[in-house]
Amino acid sequence: MDDSGGRDRPYISMRGIVKIYPDGTLALRGVDLDIYRGEILGLLGENGAGKTTLMKILSGFLRPTRGLIYIDGKEVRFRDPSDAINRGIYMVHQHFSLVPSFTVLENLCLVHGRGFLTTLKGLDLDIVREKAKKLLSVLGLDVPLDIPVENLPVGVRQRAEILKALFIGANVLILDEPTSLLTPYEAKELFRFIKELAQKGAAVIFITHRIREVIEVTDRVVVLRRGLVAGEMITRSATPEKLSELMVGGEAIVRREIATSERNILAGKPILSVRGLVVLDDLGRPVVKGVDLDLFQGEILGIAGVEGNGQSELVEAITGLRSVLKGSVILNGVDITNKTPSYIYKHGLIHIPSDRDRLALALDMKIYENVLIGLQRNPAYHHNIIPRIINWDTVKKAARELIKRFSITAESLDAKARALSGGNRQRLVIARELSKGAKVVIASNPTRGLDIASTSYVRTILRELRDRGAGVLLVSSDLDEILELSDRIAVIYDGKILGILSREEAKRVDIGLMMGGVQAS
Amino acid sequence: MAETLSYSMPLALTGLTFAIGIRTGLFNIGSEGQVYMGALAAVAIGSASLSYAGHAHIALTLIGSALIGMLWALIPALLKVYRGVHEVLSTIMLNWTAYYITMYISSQVLVDPARPEKTLSVLESSRFSTIVPGTTLTGGIFISIATALAYYFLISRSVLGYEISLLGSGIDVARYAGVNVRKIMIYSFLLGGIASGIAGGLLVIARPPTYAIYGTLGNIWGYGFEGIGVALIGRNNPIGIILASILYGGIKNGGRFMEYYAGIDSDLVKAINGLIVISLSMPELFRILGRLVRR
Ligand SMILES: Nc1ncnc2c1ncn2[C@@H]1O[C@H](COP(=O)(O)OP(=O)(O)O)[C@@H](O)[C@H]1O
Ligand SMILES: [Mg+2]
Repeated sequence: MDDSGGRDRPYISMRGIVKIYPDGTLALRGVDLDIYRGEILGLLGENGAGKTTLMKILSGFLRPTRGLIYIDGKEVRFRDPSDAINRGIYMVHQHFSLVPSFTVLENLCLVHGRGFLTTLKGLDLDIVREKAKKLLSVLGLDVPLDIPVENLPVGVRQRAEILKALFIGANVLILDEPTSLLTPYEAKELFRFIKELAQKGAAVIFITHRIREVIEVTDRVVVLRRGLVAGEMITRSATPEKLSELMVGGEAIVRREIATSERNILAGKPILSVRGLVVLDDLGRPVVKGVDLDLFQGEILGIAGVEGNGQSELVEAITGLRSVLKGSVILNGVDITNKTPSYIYKHGLIHIPSDRDRLALALDMKIYENVLIGLQRNPAYHHNIIPRIINWDTVKKAARELIKRFSITAESLDAKARALSGGNRQRLVIARELSKGAKVVIASNPTRGLDIASTSYVRTILRELRDRGAGVLLVSSDLDEILELSDRIAVIYDGKILGILSREEAKRVDIGLMMGGVQAS
Repeated sequence: MAETLSYSMPLALTGLTFAIGIRTGLFNIGSEGQVYMGALAAVAIGSASLSYAGHAHIALTLIGSALIGMLWALIPALLKVYRGVHEVLSTIMLNWTAYYITMYISSQVLVDPARPEKTLSVLESSRFSTIVPGTTLTGGIFISIATALAYYFLISRSVLGYEISLLGSGIDVARYAGVNVRKIMIYSFLLGGIASGIAGGLLVIARPPTYAIYGTLGNIWGYGFEGIGVALIGRNNPIGIILASILYGGIKNGGRFMEYYAGIDSDLVKAINGLIVISLSMPELFRILGRLVRR
């Protein structure tokens, strides 16, 4: 796969990059990467593959645990981002870094001449404006300079960010998942623009998990998987299938015996049925764009997809935490569209959320108090005679039972929930939710961040639930988890379900393709 | 000691107001204004001759104070819940509004014709009499302690109290638990308003010898803000607040003696008191700030 044959030697080389985060996460396990002038390099990989980490190291935001960086063959060490900027390397983050209440021009002033002294000496706005205007016309970009950044549409904000990069004089531009916030039209504009930039000799590094985009815009692509380079290709000779295989790993067909016959499932009536669901995100953009799903009793329906394709909003909409713009959700024959969470729980749905520390637990409250979350209105936990007065003895008894049955390691019931380890927190959440005795379980990344023992424990419980006839909707960005547990697998991409596969027909490669936005044939 | 308790009587109540706000995750500093309004209501009702009411006059007066304190707290509650106005802004503004309303009414409407520097005094029938002769300590202290105990029970045992604590530990977990966030926020403001309204009422009907509001508001002023210190020292727990209010009352009372006997300048006394309170509040203050930062 040598591609540098016809070229000069690389402008930047990263060698043997290892990154271990302070919490012990091994994010990069020895990565080599070359970057040439005038090319658009795609950096492709699933969530958590290490793309962002690698580029943060190149742009000086992080220091590598091991490994070296060379520019023009000479070793460099970056202490902070400004060192990298001085060498012309600039990274546009997934979350932008402009000051929202400042205009674009004011943001540029912040970096012009870089530092307080310029500001103190009295900064000549006109000089900055002239320089910015000239740059914009050379680049063929359109960015209003005098509007506060927070009032600009996301696409323009991103252009402003790129303008800032070039204003500083960047010639290596790193874009981290730049299209994730853009409309298709804005994305097209961005592609056109970065192609032009590369033609002018800059190097552009384009981070994405979308195979389609890699094929559309890059010259060369490096695929990361679990902190290692899984492969490297010239884009012209790459096929979506090949890239997908590199991205998710090349195992052949996944075949496993099936607990419940799928025909039986489909013969029944769905216990949860979602129709034409449209949901907006916090910024008011549609992120769930017409989803249809049926969940049957006695099955685990896995929803696979790269994070940020609408799955968290989908789950929130079903569980009553986010409003539904269009469409309907029917639970066990009852319309629960836009109903409150308590109404939905009462009708037999429980939710094991992805962000358990924020949603499912009150970390600063005591462990036994956490056992009452969502159950506080249940008269079983109230005083016999006085209504709406909690009987804490009953609650504590229930807590003790759950702790025993689910092997939760806790020093005392009176300890704060914060004192529990991650695995024990999730056990506590699951224990409590299951005690509500529901027929439909929505589990979102239920094993994220857990140790091996707790992971397999949680998975066993989900299987048991399924075997006892519950319907489990498993939303996970961990493809291995989806493949291990699901009876059927739906792939979500860009707010839509691209397809639903049964376990027998599910091939890793196909799922990987669909997760990257390519419809499987 | 009796004098100390007399000082602590309103402070325990204004401390409750701030504490219940913090427990809900709200920074409700509207106690001061609610005290004024409660005091005003006490003068209005307490000075009216309700001869048929007999001993119920006291109860009517306090209920009036509690209600108007509650209504005054309803304004920031609705602003917060329906218009997203931050409670710090709205309560500070309402404190000033209450201040001027009370100034005006005390000097123009309910003014004592014989002594224009104060309002009418409330009638005998709506006064608490002193329980320790020669001091200003009255039966009002029992109202104050009983209210704090009731709030303790409410917070630690009722569904409402639990939902308040859940909301205080995070809006997301509260919504997940099916808590009606708007309703609980409003209830929290109202409970706070009731406590401070009663505090204002007691300052009029349970603090001899005036049984009125001075035109300068000098005898009802400052308790709302001092309640913040009391709540912090008492770690936002009603029982702790009772104890903290006694401690605080002692500091205030002791301060007077420093002036009398040691001749220390009154501003220096206040500064020393402030230092004591700040050092005692530190642990709780850090806890609250830590929680905000983590969020
Ligand atoms: N600040 C951090 N602390 C600990 N672990 C982290 C941190 N940032 C990322 N990680 C972990 O490092 C791995 C790689 O993450 P990242 O570089 O963000 O991947 P990508 O950008 O490819 O999605 C993941 O397992 C992620 O959870
Ligand atoms: Mg990333």
